Amino acid sequence: MAELSVSVNGELTAAQVDPRTLLSDYLRDHLGLTGTHVGCEHGYCGACTVLVDGASVRSCLTLAVQADGRSVDTVESLASNGELHPIQQAFKECHGLQCGFCTPGLLMSVLELAATNPGCGRDEIREHLSGNVCRCTGYHHIVDAVEAALNSVREQGDGS
Amino acid sequence: MAADQAPRYFGARVARRQDDRLLRGDGRYVADISPAGVLAAKFVRSDEAHAVVAGIDIEAASVAEGVKEVFVGEDFADNEIRCVSSYAGFQESAQPILALDRVRHVGEALAMVVADNEYVAEDAAELVVADLEPLPAAVDIDTALDVGCAPLHPGWRDNAFVRRRATTYGFNEASSSAPHRVSIELHNGRHSGVPIETRACVAEHDPGTGRFRLHTTTQIPHLIRAGLSWALGVPESLIQVIAPDVGGGFGIKAQLYPEEVACCLAARRLSRPVKWVEDRREHFVAAHHSREHRHSVTGYFDDDGTILALEADIAVDMGAYSVFPWTATMDGGMAMGILPGPYRIHEYSVSSTSVCTNKTPYGAYRGVARPAACFSIERLMDQIARHLGVDRVEIRNRNLLADGDYPWRSPSGLIYDSGSLVESLDAVLALGDLEGLLKRQADARTAGRLVGVGLAVFTEQTAHTTQEFKQRGVPIVFGYETAKVRLDASGTAVVSASIHDHGQGLETTLAQVAADRLGLDLEQIRVEYGDTEQVAYGAGTFASRSAVLAGGAVTKAADAVADTLRQVAAHMLEAAPEDMVVETGRVSVAGSPSQFLETTELCRLIYQRPERLPEGVEPHLEASRTYDAHPGTGAYTNAAHLASVEIDPLTGKTRVLSYAVVEDCGPMINPTIVEGQIFGGVAQGVGSALFEEFLYDEAGQPLSTTFADYLVPVMSDIPDFQVAHLQTPSPHTIGGLKGMGEGGAIAPGAVIASAVEDALSHLVGTVTVDRLPLTPERVLGYIDAANGNGTGP
Repeated sequence: MAELSVSVNGELTAAQVDPRTLLSDYLRDHLGLTGTHVGCEHGYCGACTVLVDGASVRSCLTLAVQADGRSVDTVESLASNGELHPIQQAFKECHGLQCGFCTPGLLMSVLELAATNPGCGRDEIREHLSGNVCRCTGYHHIVDAVEAALNSVREQGDGS
Repeated sequence: MAADQAPRYFGARVARRQDDRLLRGDGRYVADISPAGVLAAKFVRSDEAHAVVAGIDIEAASVAEGVKEVFVGEDFADNEIRCVSSYAGFQESAQPILALDRVRHVGEALAMVVADNEYVAEDAAELVVADLEPLPAAVDIDTALDVGCAPLHPGWRDNAFVRRRATTYGFNEASSSAPHRVSIELHNGRHSGVPIETRACVAEHDPGTGRFRLHTTTQIPHLIRAGLSWALGVPESLIQVIAPDVGGGFGIKAQLYPEEVACCLAARRLSRPVKWVEDRREHFVAAHHSREHRHSVTGYFDDDGTILALEADIAVDMGAYSVFPWTATMDGGMAMGILPGPYRIHEYSVSSTSVCTNKTPYGAYRGVARPAACFSIERLMDQIARHLGVDRVEIRNRNLLADGDYPWRSPSGLIYDSGSLVESLDAVLALGDLEGLLKRQADARTAGRLVGVGLAVFTEQTAHTTQEFKQRGVPIVFGYETAKVRLDASGTAVVSASIHDHGQGLETTLAQVAADRLGLDLEQIRVEYGDTEQVAYGAGTFASRSAVLAGGAVTKAADAVADTLRQVAAHMLEAAPEDMVVETGRVSVAGSPSQFLETTELCRLIYQRPERLPEGVEPHLEASRTYDAHPGTGAYTNAAHLASVEIDPLTGKTRVLSYAVVEDCGPMINPTIVEGQIFGGVAQGVGSALFEEFLYDEAGQPLSTTFADYLVPVMSDIPDFQVAHLQTPSPHTIGGLKGMGEGGAIAPGAVIASAVEDALSHLVGTVTVDRLPLTPERVLGYIDAANGNGTGP
């Protein structure tokens, strides 16, 4: 077993885990943070995307011990005081989700995009988010939502 | 009684009710559910397409630390999935829960390891050794139907589940006297919906009562309960099926699977909950496949392109077993029915063979056979246009059904209730700017680029019920849906519906319907679904029917509840019930709006002051109604699609540049949700057209078992869409609604094939695009053929 100490959504967590434990399983099974979804377990679909020290990673391809001493953010970190994050609000207003399964990973990728390239347009949005597969929406409303989210993040000055 | 005021919510683009919880990560999907004491299941699957199971050594796995039990076929030999069609000559297959003496496709489950957790179960599964003696595999339609190919199931005559044939009375005369004919053979690749949430289930069994509870990723909870009842030999009253949030279905989650039965049986044996979460590789080989059609089509027509007769021979590669509840006949039957499509075709001769092969069984996928049928008839129209030198739009306009044709009895016996085919084609040419596209194409050609424009028109049967399904030979005729509406003492309502929402937004649209009928705010309505103990019996969500049928049932049930409100309000206000009007938040006397009772006050009174109720009125506000959209022959949605593509001549990669849709699904409850369904369907159709295919080698080994081999459209593959609506109401349905969940996925194969053919049409040779998906390799083959090199893909 391996010692693990990792900050998740701003709270320090510590556990003894089998070294092969995936970060996705640590979040879902050990911490009960089931908002992070697992869609392919081979790093393609992006449903399991979380941020580690602010950078997006596939939690299905990351060992929990690789996050030792680092800071992990999941979809559960987005809303605060009961209010949806502007990115979540934009997805709701633009019908940017249908079944909702790919959504948490997508939101985390958009959070990264808002921090790194908040001024990008529709084509860049499509390129940047092509690592998050959605089977329901056909993407059009997602791009609408991301455009609106980036606008509102820019307006609030949260994007840098 | 009808609603008393103009709708506040019907037709409004309200935001979805379920989005908050899904956006917060508070959705509750099956993989999120872990009852106390839950064990993890892992299936050991066949790596042979066809083999005798000589033995399975489970000894090492059974004694591995943390393993509770390893099951093999004989443990579950009393159980099977058998779905028998009533069509004459249908040959039955028995799908074992775990393989017995034979495996019939790669991915068929051989053993089931149940252990403390998934990691241990996967380790132990590696220790199971199956002794499989390979047999020749029938991997394609022709091999399976060859007289030299041994039948795949005991007692069968050949490898056809069923063969069917139908010919109209005047076909022979019409076809033999036609001055022109064009034939084309069309191939659709095998693929499926591939939802991002894989399949999963959690089975529990209570030894005290004998009751099962199964949380499962399904679109059809009640039908799964019925299928489990048959497979387990347990009455339905002892089975509860719960489909919580489900991460996409697209038809793939509308079948009973052996894994669901196995988890129930294991839970009973072990008296512990058993959970299985499919991994993606399993999904590619064990979740049902779809779409693999081969159609040979001949059109007979006169000098101006009017079609005089249509002939089609349909073969569908149904894989190894007949699936519950559809049987192995659904795609073949649907293709036979809808292939004449939106055209004024009177004479038709069609045959269809549902072929059994050593591949993963074949189930439903969004559109069910209609994409293949649309591909065939639209490719044929393009070939007829080319044969006569007539424009593709013009040839369609000469044959499309027009206003005076409805109701239209198609040569296959379908009754088209209504439509706007010519108008939708006209409208999409304007919306998608055909003129501009052609100008840009001309400029691109001058610059040496390969740009093409494609289009297609279709009509689709939606919301079909008893009349249709009784003809399909299915063992359970599902027609109606059910809804219960309950207003409580605090004046809020619960709508319980037999459909399931796995992205379609029914949690919102059904609330919109109920809110209007009851004069409530949307926030005062809660919609529940998915739990067979909680909602009344109905079939579930598939086949573009839930908004129509559940919407109709909600309307009927809410109106019955509103009638009670009127009756009690009339009594209290000393007026006649027929003079009462249900308005927003209150029930008033018609013509004297100052005389009213607030709805919340009425609700409290009805439940909590029963002594004040009029005689004969029971103190409850609850009604359950079914709705079957009589006469059940379907409400026909139609659409026209127009797209442009560019092909990279070096790589063969096709890029979709623009895509426009004009759809007519009648009045829309929520246009934003309708558009989301259209966009999602079109993107899946683009996947069908360009990327997605389950390939096999000659031995039946699947070659597409990861997302690196099986490509799905990603965000940069899909353009922004243009969409517009026509709204021709159905004469058959409440509110004139028509279904539309599948439509987007029907036309893209035809549209993109037409565009690719057009992009190559100025090259030296003529090519006929006859095969999907149009992968870069295939497109390069067409380019070579068009350039006069090689013979095509």
